[in-house]
Amino acid sequence: MLDSRSSRARAWRLSRVALAVLVAVALAGPASAATFRVAIGIDPDTLDPVQNTTTTVANVLDYMVETLTFLDPKGEVRPMLAESWTMSADGTQYTLKLRKGVTFHDGTPFDAKAVKWNLDRLKDPNVRVPVRAPFPLKEIEVVDPATVKITLTRPSAPFVMALTSTTAAIVSPAAADQYGNEYKNMQHPIGTGPYVFKERKKGESVTVGLYDKYWGKKPVYDTVVFRVVPEAATRESLILAGQVDLMVLPPIADLPALGRNPAVKVLLAPSNRTIFISLNTTKPPLGDVRVRQALNYAVDKQAIIQNVLFGAADPMDAPMAPSLFGYCKAGTYEFNPAQAKQLLLEAGVKPGTKIPFIHPTGRYVQDKEASQAVAGYLREIGIEPELATMDWPSYISIVNAGPAEKTTHHLAYLGWAPNFLDASMQTLQFWSGYHPPAGLATSFYKDARVDELVVAADRESNPEKRKAMYCDLSKKVWSDAPWLFLYVQRFPIVYSAKVTDVASIPNEKFYAVYARPAQ
Amino acid sequence: MNRFHGYLAQRFVASVLTLLGVSLIVFLMVRLLPGDPARVIAGLLATEEDVARIRTDLGLDRPLYAQYGIFLARLARGNLGVSARTSQPVIAELRPRLAATLRLALTSAVLAAALGILAGTLAATRPYSTFDYALSLTTLLGVSMPVYWLGLMLIIVFAVHLNWLPAAGSEGLASIVLPALTLAAFSVALIARMTRSSMLEVLRQDFVRTARAKGLGERLVVARHALKNAFIPIITVVGLQFGALLGGAVLTESVFGWPGMGLLLVESIFSRDYAMVQGIVLVFSALFVLVNLVVDLCYAVIDPRIHYG
Repeated sequence: MLDSRSSRARAWRLSRVALAVLVAVALAGPASAATFRVAIGIDPDTLDPVQNTTTTVANVLDYMVETLTFLDPKGEVRPMLAESWTMSADGTQYTLKLRKGVTFHDGTPFDAKAVKWNLDRLKDPNVRVPVRAPFPLKEIEVVDPATVKITLTRPSAPFVMALTSTTAAIVSPAAADQYGNEYKNMQHPIGTGPYVFKERKKGESVTVGLYDKYWGKKPVYDTVVFRVVPEAATRESLILAGQVDLMVLPPIADLPALGRNPAVKVLLAPSNRTIFISLNTTKPPLGDVRVRQALNYAVDKQAIIQNVLFGAADPMDAPMAPSLFGYCKAGTYEFNPAQAKQLLLEAGVKPGTKIPFIHPTGRYVQDKEASQAVAGYLREIGIEPELATMDWPSYISIVNAGPAEKTTHHLAYLGWAPNFLDASMQTLQFWSGYHPPAGLATSFYKDARVDELVVAADRESNPEKRKAMYCDLSKKVWSDAPWLFLYVQRFPIVYSAKVTDVASIPNEKFYAVYARPAQ
Repeated sequence: MNRFHGYLAQRFVASVLTLLGVSLIVFLMVRLLPGDPARVIAGLLATEEDVARIRTDLGLDRPLYAQYGIFLARLARGNLGVSARTSQPVIAELRPRLAATLRLALTSAVLAAALGILAGTLAATRPYSTFDYALSLTTLLGVSMPVYWLGLMLIIVFAVHLNWLPAAGSEGLASIVLPALTLAAFSVALIARMTRSSMLEVLRQDFVRTARAKGLGERLVVARHALKNAFIPIITVVGLQFGALLGGAVLTESVFGWPGMGLLLVESIFSRDYAMVQGIVLVFSALFVLVNLVVDLCYAVIDPRIHYG
């Protein structure tokens, strides 16, 4: 008996020692104050700027590589590696004056030759560049070490805006066959940015350290660690436990609680992502504009934003986000079920008409829940939506099917975020030249005037004229309603109250390069 | 060649055939899923022309039999192909991930076996006591708790409220504690229950009574005589549980952001990264086959009466 008691006591002591060791190890875990820790939701598929397709990856890359022009938190284009630019009268030639005295992280100079090499790579068909369309590059000419002349295959007014995209970031040509890089696939980015690539642990983290020869303003933190944490609830736990300083996309239902928590700050950043239900105009009864308008009147967008998205969105009032160049308010479809029913009656749609309605799950914030809410509103006006969901790859294979006679979708919940803040890429959604399979204009909307404006506005070099064209186009699209216009999603960022100077860029990016400890 | 070697050779051939079968099934299954990997990689904003180029790059424009032939020919040379998502060789991507998963699964297996056998033995030596009932209740909970929920609860308690342990990641010794506990919970319960019933049966047998009669201490009787004889079903469960641990790792790794194969598998399925999914499933299957073989071989070590052939 005595023996067993003493052995139990020994076991208890041992377990306490073990616990103490664990606690000590855990406490030693968090990095020093000079490190800024960010929790992101996806493991980067690539660190090659030209190959990136997700804003999270671009956001990480932006610490290391810089673009010729820069999109600031207000959504305006500013000089970055290019100090100034001019456009030829016909909009096909751009001359860029480059910043002098800039060096890449490998010590080689940034100059016109480096720019030419990068843009040549961007147009090289042998390199995988998934989003090449915004860069209609024909020829890049080195005029002098600080000047490049870029000739385009067609006039493109938003080209300078397109250059803000991380896809067009400038890396060191000398590093193309070093550090494990290959010309076709660079995984060790050597740029000119304020931070240098230090380490990548796949599935776990990307670490960058301060670049002491950076040409611009120096950031405060020596090191930034991006931790890959796919589960939103776990990212939230990390910030609540003080184990990271910033996280993106918390569980949306927790937004109110996070807002009340004094230990963290919530930034509901404006974004460029419009969320809508594409109405396939080739499927009856959706070919009738009255039916499409009826669907728009039937849904209480404000209620969905409040109750399903916890405030993380703003209702659409144009076929594009307000952050885009070319936006103008096009109208509103006030919640009006009576008018919706009247329009359906005029169009001869019988109560109980079944319409298939597909939506992804987990691709966009609260997509499943919002779709169910929309379906509820449609039932109120006598439409019987047949809801179905599937995983993302299956989903896009359905909405991307074409031509029109091969499509199966009727209503499809989708999000669209152009990769630079200009109406040109957004309005492709309403251009008949972009009907699937050529593009993703999933509603197969076709209007001669809109078609003409999409092309003309893309080429128009006068900004005021361009704006007016997009405004015309927006109003026409708004009243033709090829979409059930829902809302512009906000991009929730949560950061520790112990840090300050955290901002966002209105294309779903956080801007925390100059974050610093709060006093 | 003795009978043992013959047995080994036979098992080896069977394993290779099993894995070949697995490779064919996985190959066909991922391709039966709707969705175009090239479009998933390129994203919504890419043009069809760029998507088509990626499709050609990946060899997806070739007939199925040709794709499988290429896959097998590469496999024979130890090459699992190139990941469509990351453009890196699958083997290179898998190696660190496999190490992370094995670290987690082995830690959990050791934890589960140690705790399970200990608890089961204690319960069997005090049948129908308070401890026994408490254990039954705990194991019932352990078996029925969803991994996902348990993981989040542990994070909330030990990371958010107590701030003792990291909530995610794999850096430092402390980071393995929560994922290993989460993953082990189900197996501990199962192993404890199996140990208890197996031990109860053995403790009733004549040789145990003899051991006690000749004056051996109770501990020695339980540890040396009873446990050893109760071990065959226990080791079977432990072996099977290792397979379950590998499967459970998929969820646990997602919750804890543990950079293992499970997390990679989920990402790869959602991006239709055929080569990566094939590679991961093959490695998982090979591990499972291997563990089963080891368990079978362990029988002979534990019980000299067992012969192979």
